[in-house]
Order: sequence, then structure tokens, then C-alpha cells
Amino acid sequence: MANSATLIETQALFKRYGDKLAVNNVSFEVQAGEVFGFLGPNGAGKTTTIKMIVGLLQPTSGTIRVAGYDVQTQPLLAKAASGYVPDTPNLYAKLTGRELLRFVGDLYSLDRQRLAQRTEELLRVLDLNEAADQTIDSYSHGMQQKTSLAAALMHDPKVLVLDEPTVGLDPKSARLIKDILRQMAERGTAVFLSTHILEIAERMCDRIGIIDKGALVAVGTMNELRALGKAGETSLEDIFLGLTGGAEAAEISEILR
Amino acid sequence: MNSLSVMPSARLLPSVWKLIRLRLLLNWNAFKHAKTGRKIGTIALVILALVFTGFTFFLSWLLLGFLRSAKLIQYVGFDVGPFLQTVPVLVFALLFVGIMFSSFGVLLQALYLSGDMDFLLSSPVPIRAVFVTKLLQAVLPGFGLAALFGLPVLYGLGLTGNYSIVYYPLVLLTMVALTLAAAGISAFLVMLAARLFPPRRVAEVLGFLTATLSILCSQSGNLYNSLGRDVTISGSQVNGAFALLMRFNTPWNPLNWAGSGLVDLGEGHWLAGLGLVALTLGLSALAFSFALATAERWYYSGWAGMQVVAYKKKSARSVRAQTVTAQPVPDIANLAGPQMSRVLPAPVRAILQKDFLLLRRDIRNLSQLVTPLIFGIFYTFIFLRPGGSIFPDSPDTPAIFSSMARFISSYGNIGMSLFVGWMLLSRLAGMAFSSEGKNYWMLKASPVKATHLLTAKFLMAYLPTLALGVIFMVAVSILQKASLAIFLYGLLATTLCQAGMSGILLAFGVAGANFNWTDPRRMNAGVIGCLGQALTALFLPIAFGFFIGPLLLMTIMNWPQVYGYLAGAVAGVAVSATAALLPPWLARKRVDRLNEN
Repeated sequence: MANSATLIETQALFKRYGDKLAVNNVSFEVQAGEVFGFLGPNGAGKTTTIKMIVGLLQPTSGTIRVAGYDVQTQPLLAKAASGYVPDTPNLYAKLTGRELLRFVGDLYSLDRQRLAQRTEELLRVLDLNEAADQTIDSYSHGMQQKTSLAAALMHDPKVLVLDEPTVGLDPKSARLIKDILRQMAERGTAVFLSTHILEIAERMCDRIGIIDKGALVAVGTMNELRALGKAGETSLEDIFLGLTGGAEAAEISEILR
Repeated sequence: MNSLSVMPSARLLPSVWKLIRLRLLLNWNAFKHAKTGRKIGTIALVILALVFTGFTFFLSWLLLGFLRSAKLIQYVGFDVGPFLQTVPVLVFALLFVGIMFSSFGVLLQALYLSGDMDFLLSSPVPIRAVFVTKLLQAVLPGFGLAALFGLPVLYGLGLTGNYSIVYYPLVLLTMVALTLAAAGISAFLVMLAARLFPPRRVAEVLGFLTATLSILCSQSGNLYNSLGRDVTISGSQVNGAFALLMRFNTPWNPLNWAGSGLVDLGEGHWLAGLGLVALTLGLSALAFSFALATAERWYYSGWAGMQVVAYKKKSARSVRAQTVTAQPVPDIANLAGPQMSRVLPAPVRAILQKDFLLLRRDIRNLSQLVTPLIFGIFYTFIFLRPGGSIFPDSPDTPAIFSSMARFISSYGNIGMSLFVGWMLLSRLAGMAFSSEGKNYWMLKASPVKATHLLTAKFLMAYLPTLALGVIFMVAVSILQKASLAIFLYGLLATTLCQAGMSGILLAFGVAGANFNWTDPRRMNAGVIGCLGQALTALFLPIAFGFFIGPLLLMTIMNWPQVYGYLAGAVAGVAVSATAALLPPWLARKRVDRLNEN
């Protein structure tokens, strides 16, 4: 490994779709044991960046290292070190939750005993035990999201990448996921998550990156971001809207009048 | 209260018009943003349909004019006029029955399983308007098809019979009314089915049954012919058929009222005609109103119930399932013995096991596999029936042709087995990657080598096809009392030719992989996938030719067969193994970049 403390590292990352520059010169690092929040308006390039980190998309240029491995030149090692939870949990609908976890465990070549033990642990912790032998097409959105998280945690990854993990979850499930992420970070995992819920980012994340129109406009701790903002901008919402361009209050009141 | 608050319109027709306008806008946008090739194709299709309508009209006008001619009556000795009066009866009866049955599946999809239902049912639009719009949308293609064939015939009949002017608009009106009535009854049956069973399951079973029935019907003619039934039609049979059709035209059958009434109106029998047509229109309105009234009560509750029914039913079952499935899921590698566990890496085994489970559990997949299976069973039966030799021996046949015929008969079963295998592989290997659909991210984000992925997909397609081929070969060899040499050589040829086809189809499937589908019946591997099918259709006779060519040569030359077996095996194995390995190896780089557009 190049640097044992840095688990995600992107350098001068670009992604172009035809004429559109989706990701523009993005560079950042995420350390072991750190929860990194990735914020940005819709279409800012969050999901594209995440997909490049987990190896689902190839960058136009730039490098990404996950757990010290180059995602482009050592993809299998980089993927073996990371777990990914997408924004939409597209899972094999006709597999049961237990079968899906077993399938994922086999993809990561876990041994039989470890696989069985890990499956039962995750089903229990994520409160999926009762539905474990039902096919996924009968699961609610929240259960599918939790199954997706369980699949990402099967091989106990060093790097966990989550794209809006709390969308559509009830408060109990959202809290459960937040607790799991915090504990993963305390055990040394680098947690990289994108979210639109600024309260989650403010309370959970050690550092926050804000992306707008494909470019990273700010990275740092809450205090560092406050220092970047204008005087009086103390909440993350104010800082976020200040950096990315907020809605015009007058126009809103005109529409709602 | 804010100034934008509005009272939703409860009126049916304006709401239906709004929803139809939305559909038209969606279609127009789809056309506007389509690729140029697709736009040209759509325009060409419309022009072709118009030309076809004109042609059918012209043809039926000529034919009906000929059938009504006095010279024909004089020549054949009987008047076909009464039969011609039965034509509208038949057309309307077929239209009604056809629309009623064919729209069941379409309506099930449109009313319960389409993606826009959440949006429509949460909008301030009357539920009946949503129902009517969906119903119109579903029956429009069927109605269009019926009009394309039926209208030219009915108008041609009117022109040649000098029917009254009121006949023509009433034909169209009756057609519309009967279509709506048939669709209304079909919608009622759909709503009833959706209350009793989960609509998704009904759609899956329906798809499977339709596919099975279609292929059974399409092949029944071949089976009938092969059984040696006499299919020549005699004059008396034609007369019998006419008589049967005329017997169908009884006044007691409501399906006949529309056609009979229109003919009466056309011929100037106003009272009877108007009575029957009014009765038809009235009953149609009643059937449609009944469906509409039922929709108000059943449709929303059925659709809302559907959102929870799957989970509720499974919950009840899960208590039992828990005890059954709590034991470990059987490992495909363990079933095949511990050696396989060592030979195949864990990811390959995992993908294989997952694919077999999904193939078995989703009945929509079986709908696609039923065609080659039925085809195989039919032709095996035809091939194996008593006296089913392709080339019956005759004492006059020269010796060389007799030996060639026996040779082809001996190896023909292998060719048939390979052909059925090709049909199966087109789906299993050609769509091996496309079948992952939106779940492909799971494989792509995992540390699975492209070669492992290709191996798993290759085996997934190859193993069931090989199993089917072997069963077929064993059955045919036993029944034909084939020699052990022919059986073993046939097995070698089948095994390797199928491997070659799997390799080619898999590689083309990678190149044309399409992950953007929601219904497995709609998945495809695009133009590149079709190219793979065409190429394997060429490869198959070539590879098989390499296996049996030298043997045939030895038979013709009357040389020892053993040289033929040796030469055929070397050439066949070389060609097939190259086809099995080279294309997937060339496609491996592409696997790494799949689904990135």
C-alpha cells in the first residue's frame, strides 16, 4: 500500500460524457477511520464520482486509489477492499435475502464458515432475519436498502462507499444505518457517503466535500467550511447554499403567494 | 387558502382527453427524439399500412365482385350470395372474440403493472378516466389490426353489393362499439383475476401459456402432416365448410346481430336492420358501462391491494418456509462433487448457482425457453415415429444413394439435436450478459475477473443445452438402435459443436449487451446479438460438416470408416474448440467496460 492511512485518494479526476463535463478536476483524500460526506446539488457529479471510485465507470483522466490500489490498473484488489451501496437498490428480485448474501460472499471468495457466520450476523443486526428466506421482490424499499448494505458489509471492507444511503428509510432504519457507519469508522474503515440530508452530514461526518457543476468547491471539517463561508453562515445549510447558489427567496414567495 | 388551489374536474370526458393528450405528447416526443433510422422506419411502416389497406380493399372489391358475378353462379352451379352475407357476421364475431381474448394480457399490463400508475392514481383525475384511457391505449393496436383487415373487406362487400349509404358509417361505429364492449368485458375479467391472484403472477403465467400455445399451434400443422393425414381439400369439403359457416349465422347468437343487421340495412331491410344494429349498440354500451361501473369499485381497491398483497401472502408462507430454508442453500458445486468445487473458482460457482436459481424461479424466463423445447420434442416425435425415415428405401434406388440416405438418417438426429441446441443457446448464451439487467452493478463492483465471469456465463448456457442434447441423443440412439460408434461420435460432435456455438453467441452477447430492461421478455442483445445468431447459423453446418464430411467421403468411397472418424474428429474438434475459446477470449476486455454508457 502506498499510504496505510489514506484509503481513498483521487487525483485530478475528470469524466466527460460527449460535450458535458460531469466531473471536473476532482482531488481529495479520505483517511482510515474517517466518515467523509459528499454533498452537492442534483446533477453536480456526486454519483459519477462515486461510480468511478467503486470501478463502475472509467474516468476520462486522473487516478483513483482505493486502499492503496489503483482502481484502473489493479481493479480486482481495489474492489476486494471496498463495499458499495447504490442510491437505488437494484438487487436480484427472485433471490431471497439469505441467498443474495451468500452469493455476494462467494463473489468475494469468503470461506464457508465465515460466510455462514457473517450472513447470520448481518441479517440479525439489520433486522432482516424474519424476511431472510423470502424473495427480495417482496421487500419494502427500506428492507432492500438494508439488504444492499448487508451485501456491501459481507466481506468487512476497508472502504465503504454509500450513495444516499438513508433515502426512503424510516427513522429507526436510518438511525441503525448511521450507527453502523459510525462503528465501521471507529474500527478503521473509511466511510464515503453522499447525501442530500445536511443534518446527517453535519452530525456524522468528520469532513465534508461539496461538489458543484462537477468541480469540488470546498473540502474540510465543519469548522474549516465555516471559515470559508461568509460572516454569519454557521450552519451547513447556509454554507452549502452560499457555495452552490441557493434558491431565490423572493421568487419562492412570489410562486407560493 | 392560496390562490392556486383548484377544484379537480370530476367530468369524465375532459379528463380522458387530458390523459390521451399526455399519451400523444409522450409518443410524439419519443418519435421526435428517436434516431433517424427509427424515424424513417416508423414513417415507412405507416405508409406500408396505408398501402396495405388500399391493396386489401382493391383485392376484396375484385374478389367479391367476381364471387357475385352471374357467370360464376352459372359455372359452379350454386349462388355464393348467402355465404357473402355471412362475411360481416364472421368479421364482427371474430373482432369481438379476438379483442376480448387478446386484450386480457395487454390490459393486465396497462391497468396494473405499468410504471405510471402511482402518478396517475395520486393525481386529481377520476379513476374512471384513468381506466378508460388505459383501456383505449390497450385495445388500440388490436382495433387497428382488425380495421386494417376487416374494413376493406366490409367496404368491398358493400360496394360490390350496392349497399345503402348508411351501411358504411355504421360499419365503423359498430366496430368501435364492439371493440369497446369486448375490451370492457376483458377488463372486468382482468379486475376479477387481480382480486384473486397477484397480477404480476397472472401476467407471468399468461406469458408462459401464450408462448406455449403459440408454438404448439405453429407446429401442429407439421405434426399433422407427418402423421400422414390427407390434407387435400375436395369440393364436397368446401361445400361442407360453406354450410357450416352458414349454420353459424343463426339469429339466436348475439355475436351475429351486428353483421346481420348491417347487411339488412345495406340491402334496404330497414326495420330488421335498424333493430339488430340498435340492439348491438345498446348491448355494447351496457357491457362497457358495466365495466366502467365495476372499475369505480374494483379497480382502485385492486390496485391498492396489489401493493401489499405480495408481502402479506409471503408472510403467511414464511413461517413454513423458515423451517424449510433455514438449512444451508445447496451448493451447485457440492451437488456435482467435491472435484468441481476445486476446479471452479468460488465466484464462477456463485454466478452459476445464482443464474440457475433465477432461471428456474422467474416463469418469464421459461416462456422464452419453451420454444426450443417444444420444437425439439415435436421433431423428435416426428423423427422417431414408426416409418418416420426421411428417405424411405426403394428397390429402384441406386446403391450409392441408398448408403448416403442411410448415412444421413443415422446422423440426421445429431443435426436436429444441434439445431434445437442453437435455439436454446441463442437465448442462454446470446443474452447471458443482458439477462443481468439493472443488477449488473453487483457483478461489476465485485472483484470478479472477466475470465471468471465469461466462464460462468458460458457454463450457464452450455450445460443445460448439453444436457438436453445428450438426453436427445440417448433417446434417439436407443430407439433407432444406433451402433455404439455412431452414438459416441455423435456425442462428441454435439458436445463440441454446442461449445463452439456457445462461445460465438456469448462473445456477440457481450458486444451487444443491453442492461436496460424491466421485463425479461423484452431483453435483447440488439443488432450485434442478431449478428451472432446469424453467424452461428452459418457455423453450425460448417462445424458439423467437419465432423461428418470425412465420414461421408469414406462411405461414398467405400473405404474403412475408422479413417473417417479420425479425420472428422481432428477437424471438428479443432474448429469447434477454436470457436468455443477464441471469441470469448477476444471479448474479455470488453467485459471490463460493460454498462459504462
